[in-house]
Amino acid sequence: MTSRVPSTLRFDHVVFEAQGQSLLKGVCGEFSGGCIHAIVGQNGAGKTTLLRCLSKELTPQAGQISLQQRALRDWSFAELAQRRAVLSQQQELAFSFSVTQLIELGLEVAGGRFEQRQSRLQVLLELCDLQALAQRNILTLSGGEQKRAQLARVLAQIWPDDWQNDAAFAGKWLFLDEWSDGLDLKHQVQIGCLLKQLAAKGLGVVMILHDLNQVAQWADEVLLLKQGEVMAQGDTQAMLTQANLLTVMDVEVAILPASGSTPLLIFPARHSH
Amino acid sequence: MTRRLRVPFTLLAAALLTAMFLSLQSGSLAIGISDWWQGLNAQQSLVLWEIRLPRLLMTALVGAGLAVSGVALQALFRNPLAEPGLIGVSSSAALGAVMVIVLGGLLWGSVSGWQMSLAAFVAAAIATLLIYLIATRNGHTDVALMLLAGVALNAVAGALTGLLITISTDAQLRSVMFWMMGSFSAASWTAVLWLGGAALLVMARLVWLRRSMNALLLGEAACLQMGYAVQPLKWQIMGLSALLVGSAVAWVGVIGFVGLMVPHMVRLWLGPDHRQLIPLSALGGALLLVLADWLARSWMAPAELPIGLLMALIGGPFFLSLLLKRRGA
Repeated sequence: MTSRVPSTLRFDHVVFEAQGQSLLKGVCGEFSGGCIHAIVGQNGAGKTTLLRCLSKELTPQAGQISLQQRALRDWSFAELAQRRAVLSQQQELAFSFSVTQLIELGLEVAGGRFEQRQSRLQVLLELCDLQALAQRNILTLSGGEQKRAQLARVLAQIWPDDWQNDAAFAGKWLFLDEWSDGLDLKHQVQIGCLLKQLAAKGLGVVMILHDLNQVAQWADEVLLLKQGEVMAQGDTQAMLTQANLLTVMDVEVAILPASGSTPLLIFPARHSH
Repeated sequence: MTRRLRVPFTLLAAALLTAMFLSLQSGSLAIGISDWWQGLNAQQSLVLWEIRLPRLLMTALVGAGLAVSGVALQALFRNPLAEPGLIGVSSSAALGAVMVIVLGGLLWGSVSGWQMSLAAFVAAAIATLLIYLIATRNGHTDVALMLLAGVALNAVAGALTGLLITISTDAQLRSVMFWMMGSFSAASWTAVLWLGGAALLVMARLVWLRRSMNALLLGEAACLQMGYAVQPLKWQIMGLSALLVGSAVAWVGVIGFVGLMVPHMVRLWLGPDHRQLIPLSALGGALLLVLADWLARSWMAPAELPIGLLMALIGGPFFLSLLLKRRGA
């Protein structure tokens, strides 16, 4: 029923203010499903605020947000939970769940029979490389291990049984605030490739990343945000230019163009202030 | 009943029934197994039905209620140290009850258990809300702030209770003193009915909320993003735990640490999942207080140790050891 509707997340003149400060000054943009989008900007540019507005955690003072061409305010939280999952930057952990129990909390949201949940659990443990940690107490894990466990929990919420099928994730969304923080290189690549794979099956991914080289490696599209305003949105290669990054990030960079399977490479130019 | 719950539930229920049976027999009037077999005489059945059984059931219900109120508050504050006694909810409930005894005594002559329960509930709810507003900002609880606010609230509630005591009559003073230490000696079938009704109602609702409470343990934002309505959930948890604490305090006075120790031990055993934590904490709390009351009655018999005092003796060191463990971690 919903796979026929083009999967889009649109926001129009979104304004968000808190404590007299204007964090989002009428931002507009559109994210499409089946694609990885990165939000890029300096600290305090409003990236996390935008993501929290898009996930309905915050309610903007003005502007429209619509998911699958339906206003976000008309979605109930229970409906949204079946469609989009969110990994926040900060995770609150005070209770000693095991990794398996943590992922089961996400699986509960999706529902399904016991056997279905068990097989989804096994798939997620494998894909996030958590098999060896399945029974470990999450409070005793390292930061990167906790991140992977939380990612598996978040994915569990929207994980379909037929996940290997072509359009298995059509109409589903994943919002990630700094997913690569604390992950070692091997797991960055593993999770990044997993996200690519899921996006190819229709998942819409919106991520906030600070490392521009990771943005170049994983994102199909980039939204440049500066002081609560959208500077530009478009194809990753077209967005990550010296001029754009000087404007948005206030840093002079050198860029090695992409060649073959190697993404473009960004590093700060020497002698910049 | 889930697979994980079945065995522990059966074990704890068997332990509770055994402890209750043994406790029924002990006291100044001996009722042995042979007496059960041959049929009780008039005196024995009077003692059993009018004194021991209501007291025993009240003890079990209060234990279950206090343990579950700990579970609820710990989910609300997302911290295993949140406990009605420690954060001042119990002493506020006691203040509410004492207020009704002393001021209500001046106004209406006498007060009923119903009025005291209501006052204790309202005071407990206000105290919970107050601590929540002080210690929680943007969905994050500051543990130190929570415990310190609890210290302050305990001091204020204690001082106000003391103030009321100075203006109370001798008869009122006697009933007030009973809150200071907690006691099951005023047991009655009315109390059992009231407590049983409140405990069943609250626990049924909490069990209903178990999934959203699990999600709440991951933080308010995560709970919302997992599709649960966070704000109504928090209001319900506050109200339900206040109802448990208020009714327990109104009937037996302040008994601390049950809500800290029992959920902690259940979590060590089976983890923090509320599907297991709520029913097992209820059974565990009932078992703990039945055993403690048995000890309180038999240790210095015929004198009876106040149960609140006994629980503080056990719970204080337990709390300290938890703090030391956190420091080590």
